[in-house]
Amino acid sequence: MNKADRSRHYNDRVRKAIAKPRLQDTLHRFADAYVIAREAAFAGQDFEALRTAIGEMKDEVRDNLPRYRDEFIANAEAAGAKVYIARTAAEANAYICNLARDRGVKTVVKSKSMASEETHLNHALKDAGVEALETDLGEWIIQLAGERPSHMVMPAIHMLKEEVAELFSKVTGKEEPAEILHLVRLARKQLRQGYLDADMGISGANVAIAETGGLALVTNEGNARLTTTLPKIHVALVGMEKLVPTLADANRIINVLPKNATGQLITSYITWIRGAVPCGDKSKELHIVLLDNGRSALAESPHCRDALRCIKCGACANVCPVYQTVGGHVFGHIYISAIGVILTAFFHGLNNASELVRACIGCRSCVAVCPSNIDLESIILHLREVIGEEEGVGAGKSIVFKNVMRNRKLFHGMLRAASVLQKPVTRGERTIRHLPLFFSGLTEWRTLPAIADKPLRDLWNDIPQKVEKPRYRVAFFAGCLNDFVYPEMGIDLVKVLNHLDVEVTLPLEQSCCGVPALYSGDKDTAVAMAEQNIDAMLENDPDFVVTSCPTCTMALQRDFIDLLKDNPVWAEKAMKLAEITIDISCFITDKLDGAEAFGKAIKAEKVTYHDSCHLKRGAGVWEQPRRLIADSGREVVEMAHSDRCCGFGGSYSFTSHADIAKQILGDKIKDIEASGAACVAMDCPGCMMQIQGGLQKQEKDVRVKHTIELLAENLDD
Amino acid sequence: MENFIIAARNVGADVQLISNLEELVAYIDQRIEGGLLLSPCPSLKRAGLSAMLKTAGVDVVEEEFRAHGASAAAGLTGANFGIAATGTVVLESTDEAVRIATTLPEKHFVLLDPRKILATADEAVPLLGDFHKQMPQAYLAYITGPSRTADIERVLTIGVHGPAELHILLLEGLSEDLMER
Repeated sequence: MNKADRSRHYNDRVRKAIAKPRLQDTLHRFADAYVIAREAAFAGQDFEALRTAIGEMKDEVRDNLPRYRDEFIANAEAAGAKVYIARTAAEANAYICNLARDRGVKTVVKSKSMASEETHLNHALKDAGVEALETDLGEWIIQLAGERPSHMVMPAIHMLKEEVAELFSKVTGKEEPAEILHLVRLARKQLRQGYLDADMGISGANVAIAETGGLALVTNEGNARLTTTLPKIHVALVGMEKLVPTLADANRIINVLPKNATGQLITSYITWIRGAVPCGDKSKELHIVLLDNGRSALAESPHCRDALRCIKCGACANVCPVYQTVGGHVFGHIYISAIGVILTAFFHGLNNASELVRACIGCRSCVAVCPSNIDLESIILHLREVIGEEEGVGAGKSIVFKNVMRNRKLFHGMLRAASVLQKPVTRGERTIRHLPLFFSGLTEWRTLPAIADKPLRDLWNDIPQKVEKPRYRVAFFAGCLNDFVYPEMGIDLVKVLNHLDVEVTLPLEQSCCGVPALYSGDKDTAVAMAEQNIDAMLENDPDFVVTSCPTCTMALQRDFIDLLKDNPVWAEKAMKLAEITIDISCFITDKLDGAEAFGKAIKAEKVTYHDSCHLKRGAGVWEQPRRLIADSGREVVEMAHSDRCCGFGGSYSFTSHADIAKQILGDKIKDIEASGAACVAMDCPGCMMQIQGGLQKQEKDVRVKHTIELLAENLDD
Repeated sequence: MENFIIAARNVGADVQLISNLEELVAYIDQRIEGGLLLSPCPSLKRAGLSAMLKTAGVDVVEEEFRAHGASAAAGLTGANFGIAATGTVVLESTDEAVRIATTLPEKHFVLLDPRKILATADEAVPLLGDFHKQMPQAYLAYITGPSRTADIERVLTIGVHGPAELHILLLEGLSEDLMER
């Protein structure tokens, strides 16, 4: 399929998914229940320590794969198993089909195996004349529906009980009521005979243990125990990344997997199988197919190889706002959600991954819950760069990034021009409520702020600064939104910092932080922007560089280092800038000890706080702004899902995925309203733009403020 | 033992303190109609359970599990040990009879000597190692509560492919051997 067709098909699927409110409702309800259950399951355990240990153990196996693989094979074969290494999906399928043909197998029962979904094993078996019966309830449902899983752990989470009843009715030939217990019991009855009749059982495995040559299966339904017990042949199809060195390592994964997957302390069954166990009056014939299919290539990619740590818990989907909006059939190929984006690129080809790579909004909620310590977002960003190089970043974006953004004077000149040109649309107001003609889609669901008459840089010299003996001299990195859209916020920042005896400069050679280019896959432009900004901000050797936008903060603290790490001249400067860069709330509380320096607000307003993705999960800051709001005499009331993305995501909400962004914003507005707060505070001008736009469009009477603006209000009072 | 009981009940197991074999036989007899697959476990044999159950009128099946498994009402097995943190019973199940008795019937009765309860799964790891050293082929099962699914609309439903009822019967004096097989 060519690129244009592929994009059209994909956008079509997005639209169809959004048109299914019951799907979103199911996924949202599950997500809420999951967060609570997961927290309870990990109570008293140090999740950071657990996941660090799992990550390190998995890296050890990856780095010494031949040794652990050979140890596993030797032990498994000594116990009577036959081990086959399949380099590709086709090889794995051929081995299993040939075996079935050789042994005269007519029917196969399968317990859940994502690896078999990955290789499309059922199709291959069918072509070989073998009937495969899925026995996991969810897998059976989607097999009957002719679909693929929409979640790694809960394959049929997208289906409603009415739809399941309809499918089951076709099997039994009579109308089955859409009652869940009835449907579950019906599946038990229908599938029972399958185990007894089948000549072969096919399973996956959650862990393959080198020191024993055994496998462990983590299940709830009991079908895997039947599948591995009754038929005389057992084939286990196992991804190579499931290898662990010891039983203790396997135990470590099994401790974390159910807790992180569904919030269960443990699943109903953990099954440890080693070798050709008894079967009837003979021994079982056990074949273990170790699947590579792109895993070796993944291990060779320094940027992406951490993805091999994945233990397939599916948590990255559970917490993903994009997944919750469109489901796994849109945000996934075979593997779904964040890890799915990466595995798809390596297992099923870049072409199948390129739309998915752009669908990530970059909120890092997956990174926070990953039990193997994988920085999923960074890997996805890297893949976006790769696809940017392969396919281009889009003609419009390309011109803007390469020809405009890299030239600060031109870029800022165009922003100034826009401020004049927008006049007919803004009618002199600070927000754009409607855009004409083909731009109208952008303001259908949120208003947009107008570009200010005068950017902060033009106002700067007229801002009075009265600091007699400055404690610090700081340089302000304003970012585009603070400079050109919300200049008054910069004035407030000066007021607040002066109050704490800090002098502020605004280096005029600073420009866009480059994130829009980087996140769109244009690495060259991002590098150029990084160099330009490093020079601008380090000039005059400030004590600190303060930021008011968490995405800029992450660029200065993290991305610049990564972009320039191979250049010895720039790497050191990037490190220096990262060391002195700090977001404004954190600077006030942690460096200036200034939380209580602003007195009490005249009106003890109820304020709810929205955690910006890059501030909470990027910079690790969430307590500090709440303390500032509370100590300045306001009542902090928590909204539900305070750290869920608002749906802004920069160009995500403008060009690439406006329809998904709109849904995510809708969820946020509901949560803000339900909190009963009169004001919603945050520390990100991008979130402000999104949330204010949504609230205004829906005519909600809630103030939207940056934390710094609230502190400045106290000084004005 | 208290932690074990709380954790096991939390996941839907029936846990019963039993003081003697007569009480045990009565407990089982009251709860089944149909065949009982009696697993070939040494401590159950020693206790003479088979004869007692038959005397009470229970249809005890002791061989040909493959033929009787699908129609039997329940399975009765021992447990090697329990894990308190999760309410888990651990069964060395390499003998196929143990597996059939714990997978096919609707109900699973499992006898556990309360002196064989470990605190956490970490403590079970060395025992897993010992089993693997003793047996060239091994099938070991951790069983925690009845068979469950939430595959339709995330609604927790009990009893899909495995036993819908798990009765853990705590009876002291059965066996102190965690490696029993």
